[in-house]
Amino acid sequence: MMYPEPTNIWESIEYSSLGISIAESLWAFPLIESFHVMALVTVFGTVLIMDLRLLGLASTKVPVTQMSSDTLKWTWIGFVIAAITGTLLFISKASTYMVNPYFLTKMGLMAAAGLNMVIFHFLTYKSVASWDSEKALPTAAKVAGGLSILFWLIIVFCGRAIGFTLGIYY
Amino acid sequence: MLDFIFDILFYITDWLRTTFLLDFAFWITETSLSLFMVENFWNVPLAQVVHITAIAAAFGSLLMLVLRVNEKAGTSVSVSDTAARYLPWVWYGLLGIVLSGLLMITAEPIRNMVNSVFWIKMALLVVTVLITLAYQKAVAAKALAGGASYQASGGTRKTGVLLIVLWLFIMLAGRWIAYVPV
Repeated sequence: MMYPEPTNIWESIEYSSLGISIAESLWAFPLIESFHVMALVTVFGTVLIMDLRLLGLASTKVPVTQMSSDTLKWTWIGFVIAAITGTLLFISKASTYMVNPYFLTKMGLMAAAGLNMVIFHFLTYKSVASWDSEKALPTAAKVAGGLSILFWLIIVFCGRAIGFTLGIYY
Repeated sequence: MLDFIFDILFYITDWLRTTFLLDFAFWITETSLSLFMVENFWNVPLAQVVHITAIAAAFGSLLMLVLRVNEKAGTSVSVSDTAARYLPWVWYGLLGIVLSGLLMITAEPIRNMVNSVFWIKMALLVVTVLITLAYQKAVAAKALAGGASYQASGGTRKTGVLLIVLWLFIMLAGRWIAYVPV
């Protein structure tokens, strides 16, 4: 099959041999997407457990540092797999995704969720020794937990919305 | 190999088409709930967001429980306390999964019910629920009897891993409902 000459970087990515193989394969996109789903529910599920602790709604007897070390490893394993599979999905339809507002919103919210995590772990966490085992945590920790749940919920919504709106915007 | 699998799945779907499920699915499309679900563009994606969130809650909780039982995470908390923390989330999560799943079936009954992968997924789900019940019973009873020093048997540990694998296969089947040739 012939593909047109790429006119921008996103089309160059899409018409790369990797992009074309994924797009033309009968099983590659669905299979990669399946792994993406398995990875993202692992991320969302473990993040949710940590967030509920921060909000003082569950596991309140477990110190925050303990909860963090129990969940964070699995959050990262899930995130790395979700990022790799997500990148592969993106490569197969790069130019279509780049004009999709839900995709762009999702990327922005992922950055926001990452920033929220960085602020929590590097700033709020400095004083963790004084509230580690408290049930009710400082406002900054609660806000981090609440924002995290909100961000990830909308990220999941955007992820689904992308699938339902592909082809509408280009 | 893949062609072979697709062929078998297609034959099963072809057979499903000859059963009462086809008429039943058409009947569902006429119900007011089905019409409501397809009337608004966002109803199906929103049901899927609830579905995915409930899966995250249930699967994340099961994962943390299995990791604790297998002494891979959360060992500062006893197995009984860990089970009490996470098992309700597994079951309420499952309730959310089933309710949102029913809405998705009602929205697109033919695509789901006349589909071999959908029924493979349902069979896997039933098996998983039964094994989860047995796992819950084994862990709760033995952990309570064993106290803080309770260590799960090899069988219980393997059952936990099996449950995680089964959930992953259910997710795989869930996504392939949309892609299998019908």
